[in-house]
Parts: sequence; structure tokens; C-alpha cells
Amino acid sequence: MEPDASIETSSMIRVAVIPISDVTPLLFRDYAAMLLRHHTVSLNSISSFYTEHQKSPFAHQPWESGSLRFKFILGGSPPSPWEDFQSNRKILAVIGICHCPSAPDLRSVADQFTAACKTYSSSLVQRCFAFCPGDSQLEDENVKGSNLILFPPADRQTQEFHLQTMVQDIAASLLMEFEKWVLQAESGGTIFKTPLDSQASLSSEEVIKAKKRRLGRAQKTIGDYCLLAGSPVDANAHYSTALELTRLTADFFWYAGAMEGSVCALLMDRMGHKDPVLEDEVKYRYNSVILHYRKSFIQDNAQRVSPLSFELEATLKLARFLCRRELANDVVELLTATADGATSLIDASDKLVVYVEIARLFGELGYHRKAAFFSRQVAQLYLQQDNKFAAISAMQVLAMTTKAYRVQSRASIGPSNDAGQTHADGGKGHHHSIVSLFESQWSTLQMVVLREILLSAVRAGDPLAAWSAAARLLRSYYPLITPAGQNGLFNALVNSAERLPLGTRCSDPALPFVRLHSFPLHSSQMDIVKRNPAREDWWAGAAPSGPFIYTPFSKGEPNNSNKQELTWVVGEPVQVLVELANPCGFEVMVESIYLSVHSGNLDAFPVSVSLPPNSSKVITLSGIPTKEGLVSIPGCIVHCFGVITEHFFKEVDSLLIGATQGLVLSDPFRSCGAAKLKNVLLPSITVVPPLPLLVSHIAGGDGSVMLYEGEIRDVWISLANAGTVPVEQAHISLSGKNQDSVVTVASETLRSALPLKPGAEVTIRVTLKAWQLSKTDSDAAASKGMPGSSARQAKDGSSPLLLIHYAGPLTTPGEPETVSAPPPGRRLVIPLNICVLQGLSFVKARLLSMEIPARIGEACSRQAQLEKGNTEQVNGSERQADRLVKIDPYRGSWGLRLLELELYNPTDVVFEANVSVDVEKTSNQESLSDNISAEYGEPKTRIDRDYTARVLIPLENFKLPVLDGSFLGNCSQNNGTPGSRNNSFSEKNIKAELNASIKNLISKIKVRWQSGRNSSGELDIKDAIQAALQASVMDVLLPDPLTFGFRLAKTSSDNINSPGKVDSEVKTCASGDSIIAHEMTAMEVLVRNNTKEAIRMNLSIACKDVAGENCMEGDKATVLWEGVLSGISMEVPPLEEVKHVFSLYFLIPGEYTMLAAAMIYDANEVLRARARSDALDEPIFCRGPPYHVRVNGTR
Amino acid sequence: MASTACFMIVSKNDIPIYEAEVGTVPKKEDAAHQHQFILHAALDIVQDTAWTTSAMFLKSIDRFNDLVVSVYVTAGHTRLMLLHDSRNDDGIKSFFQEVHELYIKTLLNPLYLPGSRVTSSHFDTKVRALARKYL
Repeated sequence: MEPDASIETSSMIRVAVIPISDVTPLLFRDYAAMLLRHHTVSLNSISSFYTEHQKSPFAHQPWESGSLRFKFILGGSPPSPWEDFQSNRKILAVIGICHCPSAPDLRSVADQFTAACKTYSSSLVQRCFAFCPGDSQLEDENVKGSNLILFPPADRQTQEFHLQTMVQDIAASLLMEFEKWVLQAESGGTIFKTPLDSQASLSSEEVIKAKKRRLGRAQKTIGDYCLLAGSPVDANAHYSTALELTRLTADFFWYAGAMEGSVCALLMDRMGHKDPVLEDEVKYRYNSVILHYRKSFIQDNAQRVSPLSFELEATLKLARFLCRRELANDVVELLTATADGATSLIDASDKLVVYVEIARLFGELGYHRKAAFFSRQVAQLYLQQDNKFAAISAMQVLAMTTKAYRVQSRASIGPSNDAGQTHADGGKGHHHSIVSLFESQWSTLQMVVLREILLSAVRAGDPLAAWSAAARLLRSYYPLITPAGQNGLFNALVNSAERLPLGTRCSDPALPFVRLHSFPLHSSQMDIVKRNPAREDWWAGAAPSGPFIYTPFSKGEPNNSNKQELTWVVGEPVQVLVELANPCGFEVMVESIYLSVHSGNLDAFPVSVSLPPNSSKVITLSGIPTKEGLVSIPGCIVHCFGVITEHFFKEVDSLLIGATQGLVLSDPFRSCGAAKLKNVLLPSITVVPPLPLLVSHIAGGDGSVMLYEGEIRDVWISLANAGTVPVEQAHISLSGKNQDSVVTVASETLRSALPLKPGAEVTIRVTLKAWQLSKTDSDAAASKGMPGSSARQAKDGSSPLLLIHYAGPLTTPGEPETVSAPPPGRRLVIPLNICVLQGLSFVKARLLSMEIPARIGEACSRQAQLEKGNTEQVNGSERQADRLVKIDPYRGSWGLRLLELELYNPTDVVFEANVSVDVEKTSNQESLSDNISAEYGEPKTRIDRDYTARVLIPLENFKLPVLDGSFLGNCSQNNGTPGSRNNSFSEKNIKAELNASIKNLISKIKVRWQSGRNSSGELDIKDAIQAALQASVMDVLLPDPLTFGFRLAKTSSDNINSPGKVDSEVKTCASGDSIIAHEMTAMEVLVRNNTKEAIRMNLSIACKDVAGENCMEGDKATVLWEGVLSGISMEVPPLEEVKHVFSLYFLIPGEYTMLAAAMIYDANEVLRARARSDALDEPIFCRGPPYHVRVNGTR
Repeated sequence: MASTACFMIVSKNDIPIYEAEVGTVPKKEDAAHQHQFILHAALDIVQDTAWTTSAMFLKSIDRFNDLVVSVYVTAGHTRLMLLHDSRNDDGIKSFFQEVHELYIKTLLNPLYLPGSRVTSSHFDTKVRALARKYL
């Protein structure tokens, strides 16, 4: 049984090519390759070397078209026992190959060659080719006459030509030898025997039989030689005779042999032209060949020798002949039959050859799985032989099956496949390729094959192949391998690695599964912004603009959305997060892992990491871009288990996709408990030339600035250029929430510092004003009840951001100006971490209104402002407030309106509140307004932590001096003409005016606070005041139309005579006990008209005692009076005072209260509106404040 | 009942989605692999033969040693493959038809992703019962 058998084999002259005296295998292969090219020598070309010594037996030799064919057997082969049966099995020529420089003595070479040729007894021609002889060797006389042929040193082409000539010479010699042999055979009585023929004692019968058969066998052998001589017609003639003879002698074996020869002759005759008729003929004849080989099976020597191998060989020859896709059925049938037959072959190597041939033929047919199956059978046969070379063969054969079983090493797939896929992802095609990736995954088989490869590689002593197989096995099938098995593979990996030199690379990755986790975005400190050179604000348009997250217009653009783009800067370190997973039961030590960069413009830094069993880890891999251009990062280089491998992200990605579709056994990351991660697409990364880099630093620490609500503070931000390129453009803008809390930014400072050279620094000032915490914020803070809530506040992102867009020069200095796109700019985001603490919190505001009755005295009735009476009630705490009490010049009494603000200090510091009222100067109150702000500005209310305090704000000074129609004019109009068209309009107007005046009022009130040494601010309580004042604003703002006042008539007063000085007046007033019982006391009532029109009225005066009883009328009157006290009709001109004099006589000393009231006749709209009366005819009643009168019993 | 039989379902994408050793003789693990190898190799022939006939049952299309491969190809090109050593064509045909029916029922399950492994234990039990009945 021989490999490579085909029908044409019968026509090939077998030539042994043997190395003579030390030829290195490499050189031998090289020389042999030159020789192998001359496997066919046309008869035409050898005619010059051929001399016809006698009449050629090959009468029909096609000298024009025929050829001799050689089959070179490198290294030679032992003689076959079947040489007689098939002459092509004989070694008919021997060619020695000698490399002269390594064999100086040509004589010994010649001797060695002669010795070597002795083993090839059947050889007819021997030649030894000696290559590259030295000059001395060329001149060596010993060579002459021997078979040694020297090839003078020359170039390859010349050598090849020389060789061709020599081969032609050999061919011619062989042809002549064949002729000689055939002539001899025809005449002589050569005995042809095969191992099939009984070797035992030849009985007489057998001898006779053999003699009979001899002729037929001779004819067949002659036919064989005709074939070898390239003369199919002659061969056919001889074969026909042989067929006849062998059939007659029932020599089936030789019959089949002759038949085979005849088929070969037929094919040779047709010169390779195939047609269906020929095919049928060949098929028919070969079937008969197979049949006859089978027939020749003799039971008695079946143990020793059997024609089975010839039968199988014939079957394989036929299969090879038919081997075409269209005839697959026939071929499969033949090969299956061969495989069946192979089981009964005795010789293991025959079996091997049969399986090899079957596998090859199936492979040729395109049946790769079948081929792989039989290859594996071959490998198993090899593995049964327990030696290293068999193991190597097994390993190589198994390596061929890996493609069919889809377990090929990545090295055998080739890089071109991979490169094609990198850019073709996305969309449906991607999905398809995923499915095809998992196509034909028979995990059981794959594991078996890989295990066998591992086993054979270990036996063959190929550590790299073993490592690779173990890595593939572990990586792909870890879920199917028991922990013990996993440990075994781990050991296999480690053991293999020990035998490998340090730094060995393997194309098949082993364990840690590596996937891309994320690309950390540039920190906001170094954001890169595309520069639009056409615009002044070059950063605009770089970020997605417009209010829509999704715009239908961007839809058309080819998936821009999922193709992330990243920009890296030369010289600035970058980071990539990858996730590693070790789903196996042993610890994986990754000695180093770093980014694999195919574009070569990134220096990646290795990291060492250890992964415990069944765990996953996210690690940061970093690198520094070195050159501008595109960066592609297809994966990581991992040094693990002693071997360096490249892990591609894409493979793991497809594995994960396969896992989600149930195509793969398990997701290594999921089984390790890693979080589910969306597939991260590899972004396109561009490296740009160096950019400036601003680094910001907030003076006083980068922590958040703690501000109480309303606090105003300056923050100093220093900006330094940490890059290598100067900053030439810079622009500051604000973004984020609470932008209005940034009062000023000193952008001029920055602008004036441009260009900012590398290393330079500039400090800019930002003035901040803390905003008010919203209701919910403060509520939340309150509910949490701890200061820690302020930290949460800061993280809410309620702080404003300072954006600084800056860029370097438009063109890099070294380069020409033709650069199309300018280098991008950058954006520095400085979060102004303002942590607003709840400061003084406002609890409530209310309007307090009280009236302190005035005391009647001559002095006090003048326009005095201060009352220091009631000293007996005054305690220390009120003393200050006393100063606030002002007499109302228009009312005459101590009418007091105070806005009381209740403030609560929830913080842990002390606050000092300070109320100030900015009063505009009014005509009547020059003296008052001059000192009022000073007076009210001074006192500070200290509010301790967790205490509530009240601050009073006097509102008296806001009274308008005149009750004016202008103010209520609209109002009166409204009342006068009800239902008028402009009703609503005017109402609106009023409201607007009213609101305006309220606002005006409120804006004058400022509550400033101070806490500690350096925090101060203002309380924003406008809304609260407005709410408090809304109801009674008219009362606060507008004076009464009439003011009443009592005083003692001058005549009756003695002790007070100097009305000039206010202070003295006050004093006397305070101490004055000027009214004495049982004396006629002259008094006068003053009525002042505060309007701009004269008022007619009916005035009446009443006096009440302590009990509130009217003491002037009735039967128990205790006060006698003189003059008119009721029904006094008078008219007061506008803004004038009218005096009415009367006298009282008090019978009993004590406290009395004087009241004046007036009924206004013909009230105009202003008055009516002020009095809030609706009816037209209703009289307006105006009552003055009460005045106290103390009547002493004795002087 | 066959002494050795290995039944497999191979999906359209040549991925085995169900496998069962339905033989009576307890075998070594090695043999089980061998069975799968034979079935895997037979796919080459199935792929050619399937298009030459309109019948779903392709009879025995391949053999190795004394093991025969019978194949039944569904309309969706899912292949039911049986490796056996007996020659009971009728029984095998009935077996295939019934398993096909079972497989269709599995396919109708909305939670079953066509082309993925059949993991239903019910299916497994039924197939083994059918194997006992017909093979």
C-alpha cells in the first residue's frame, strides 16, 4: 500500500534520490526541489541522448508527443515484495546528491554512492550529482569514469539548465535500459512471483501451473515497461495478451494487474482528455479490477498476505480518478467501501495510508468534515504508536482537522480575515457574522480534538502547540470542564510555558477574558473642543446645539450616534478601562497587561494584576500618545501563564453576543458576577498635537465655599498653563444653575494676561452671592436636621460652573499654514462649589400697630417727636425701642406702626442683624430724615444659635405728607362713575401704582447681617414684607384726612414759657403736672386738614374718665365745661390748622381721656375712598386719637 | 432495539442542539465521542443528499465500520440524525417522524429560540421513550 496512488502511477519511473556524504537536510531539500521540477521529460527532448542499439521493442513509441514520467522518492525506500507484480514499484534509477564543500574527497563520495546504490538492486541507472565543487575538485581526475557528475558553480538558472540536461540524459539511459530489459524478458525465462504465490515447496502441479502462468505474467510486465517507456500503444498490446493469458490460467491477481495497466495505457493514450465515455470505460474496467483482486483472495495464506491492499488501492485509484463534485456520490461510495475494507487490513501502516488517502480524497471533494474525521482516525493510529515522531505526525494531522472542527489556532486563520472585519461592523451584517462565528460548534468534538492535540503536542514535545491547545480548550470550554480538569489544563499551561523561552508569543489567547469597559472621558479640566476658526466664539457649534435631544435630520447621517469619537493629545496620558474575568477555579496571575496598539503611536504602560478564582476586575490601562494620527486599539497584550498573547476585544464582544443568543455555553463575565455591560463600541480615536492645558486652583482650597444665604464673597481662582503650548485665546462664560449668584467675573484680568505662556499663571477674581435656598431645600435640610445635609446640597449640581474656553495658536509654529483643521481648543470647567447654608431664616413678618395716647400739655402739642413719658413702665430692654417711638405729627398721638420680623437662627454661629431704612428726604421731615438712618442703622440685633429674635422696623416715616387725590384719584373716579368702561383698566392701574409704592417702600428696608469676622450679607425678605404689608399698606402709607390734637391754652400755663427747645419741652411735658382740679383749664383742640381741599365738618369733643364713662354729660358729670363742645361747625382750609378753644373744670383729680371727633360734610371721593365707605350719602366720620389728661388734686 | 444508537438534532447552522445516547449497551465515553464524530462527518453527505430528494427521510446515507447513519431533514433544514447498527428502516422512519413532531412542538414554544439547544426534559423523556418503542 502506497500513498498518493493513482491510475497514472503505473506509468511512473521510480527514482530514489539519496543524500551522499553529509548534506544538510536543508540543502538536500533545496537541491531535490530543483530536481523535482523535472518529473516529466518529453521523449522529444531526450532523442539527442538516445541511441538505438538494436531494434526498439517499443514500436509505437510516440516520439513527438510522449514523455517519460519520474517519481522521485526522496531518501529512497526499501524494495517492495510486489516489485515483480508492478514494475513501477521498482526503483529503476538512483540519483545521489552531494554538496561538495562539505565533502572534499570526491573519491570517497563516489565510493559512498556506489555503496548506497547496492541496496537498490533493481536500479538500472545511477548518477550522483555533486553541487558546488571547488576548483580543485573540478580538476580531480578521479571523477572521470565514475557516476559522479559535477555541477560547476553557477547561478541558479544555469544550474537548473544543467540539471535538466542531466535528467534528460538519465531518461535516455533509462529508456535504453528498458528496451534492453524488454528484449531480454521476451526471450528469457524470468519467473515472476508475488508474495501471494505459495512460497512453500513447489509441488509439481504448482510448477506446471506457474509455467503456464509465466507467459501471461511476462506479457503484463512487458506492458508495464512499455508504460514506463511512455509507449501506451505498445503497452496496451501487451496487456491485451496478458489479459487473455491470465484469464485462461485463472491468474486473477495478475489479470487485475494487467487490467489496471491497460486502463493506465488508455488514459496515457488519451493524453489527459476526459470525457464521460472514457470515464465510464475506466469505471467499468476498474470495477472489474476490484472484483478480480477480491477474487484472488486465497484463504490459506490470508494470515500472511492478502491482495486486499491492492483492492483498496485500486478503489482509491478509481476514486481519485473520479474525484469531482458531480460524481461525489460514486466517490463517497467507493471511499466508504475502502474505509470498510481498511478495518480488515493487517498492516497498521497500510491502514494509515488508506485513511490518509480517504481523508485527502474527501478533502478534495470538498467534504471537509469527512476529511477531518478520517484525519482524526489517522491521528489516532499515529497516537497508538508510542513514539515521538508518530506524535508529531499526529499533531500535524490534527492541526489540519481544526478548521473543520472550528478550533483552529488564530495563527492559522491569518491576519487578513481579521483586518477585514474591523471596519465592517455595525448593523445587520455584524449580526450575521456573529451567527456564522458560532456555526458548526460541536463543543464535544471540539474538546476532544483539542485534547488530542494537547496530548499529541505534549508527547511530541512541542510546548507551544501544547500551550496553544490548552489555552484554546480552557478559554472556549471552561464551563464544560470540571475544576479538576481545569487545574489539569492550568498545569499543562504552566508546564508548557516552562519549556518555552521567555517572551514567547502565541496567537491563541488563554484565560483572562478581556473586554472594553469604557473610555473615561476627559476630566472637565481638560475637555477638548473643536475649534471653528470662522467664528469669533470658536467653541460654539462643537457641542450639539439646539433644544432637541433627537433631531430627525441627524437620522440620515450614517450611524454617527453610536460611533463615539475621542481625541487624545500627544504627551498627555490617557486611560482605558478594561474588564478582566477569570471564570475558572484557579487563580490567574496576569504578569502584565497593556493596550495593544497597532497604529504604533501610543506608549502603553503594562499593569500586573491577579484574578482570584471566579472573579472579574475592572482595571485601568494607560498610555501616552506619541504621535498624531489615528489610534486603533483592537485589544490587549497579555502576558499570562508565561506566554504573551493578544486578546482582541472584538472576540469577547462576539462571545458575549453569542451568549445572549444562547449560542455559547456561558458568558464569562456574567458567571463571575460582573455587572451586565452594554457593548462598548471601539470609538475612533484621533491623536492631536499638544494643546495648552489650563489648570485651575481656587485660592483657599478647592473645596466648596460655604456661604450663608445671601452672603457675598470674593473667590480668587488662579489659572496656570500646564501645557507646552501658550494659551492665545480664552473666554469665560457661565453655565449651570444659579448663574446669577456669580456677581462679577474679572475676565479682563484673564484677557490681559494672554497669551499665557506655558508655566505662567493668572489669578482672577469672582464675586459670589449666595442664593436663597428654596423651600424644599430648606425643608429637606430641616427634616434631616443635621448640617451634613449641606454636603448633599453641594453635590446636587446647583452650583454654577465657570467655563473657560481656551486655545493655543491657530497653527503650530513648525508647520506650514496649510493645515486644514486648526488644532482644537479646550474647555476648562471650574465648578464654583458653593455650598449654601441656611442662614438666618425668616419665620414670619407682621405689622404691629399701636397707639399710645398723647398727654395733653402745652409743650407736647407742638410738633414734638420724642416722648419719654411712662417712665415707670419702661424697663431696660425697652429702652432702646423707646427711641423708636415717634409721635405722628399728623395724628397727634403716639401712633406706632412697626414691622416685626421674626428671624430664626438655625445655624451654629451667631448672627447679628442690622436693620437700616434708607429714607428719602421729605419736605416735612428734614430734621428727622437726617438722623434717622444713623439712628436705626446703629443697633444690631444679636441672634444666637437656635434662637429666634425679632427685629422691628418702624414704618412711620413712610407716611405721605398729604392725603392726595393724585394717589387715590383713580380710585375716586372709579367710585364716581361706576360701570365705566375703563373700570378694569383703572383698577389695574391702581394696583400697579400701589404695588410700585409698596415696592418702593420695601426696597428701602434692608436687613443686613453679619456673622463672625468675614461673612456678611443681606436677608432677602422682600416677599415676606410684601405679604405682611399687603393688607394694611394704605394705613401705613396714607395719613388720615384730619389730625386732631389737644393742648392747654397758653394763657393757663405759667411754668412753660420757652417753646424753643425741644428737649426742654419734652422735659417739662414729662414732668409737667399742670392741670389741677378745681381750676378752670383752658384747652384748645387743633384740627389739621391733611387734604388739599377745604373740609367742612361738625366737630365734637368728649371727655371720658378712667372708667370710660362720659363725664361731661349726664347727672353724674364730674367735669364742667365752658364753650362749645359738640356740634361745632367749622371749615378747615386745605393743609391748614384750625383752633377751637374751650375750658374744662375738673371736679375730681385723676386720669381723663379727651377725644375729638368730626363728621365731615360733603366728603369728596378722596375722603370717601380713604374711609372706605361706599355709600354716597353716608357721612364720613373721623375720630381723633385719645389724649390723656392727668388732673392733679393739689398743686 | 438497537444495541448502539446515538441520536442527535443538528440545527440549520450545524450546531448540535440535542443529543442522546439511546443504546442499551453502556459504552465508554470515548465511544460516545466517536459517535458524534461520525455524525458530524456525515453532515457533508447530508448536505449533498438533502437536495437530491424531496423526501425528508434520507434513509441510511453514511456508515463507518458497522455503524450506519440515518438522517431525516426537516423543512427548516434541521437534521435529525441517528447512528445505529441495525437495519430497521421502518422503525427508524417512524421514530424520526414522531421526533419531528415533538421538535415542532418545541419550536412552537414562544420561549424557545430557534437554533438554540433543546433543553426540555420532557422532550428528552419523550425521545427516549420513542427510541425504546421504535428502535
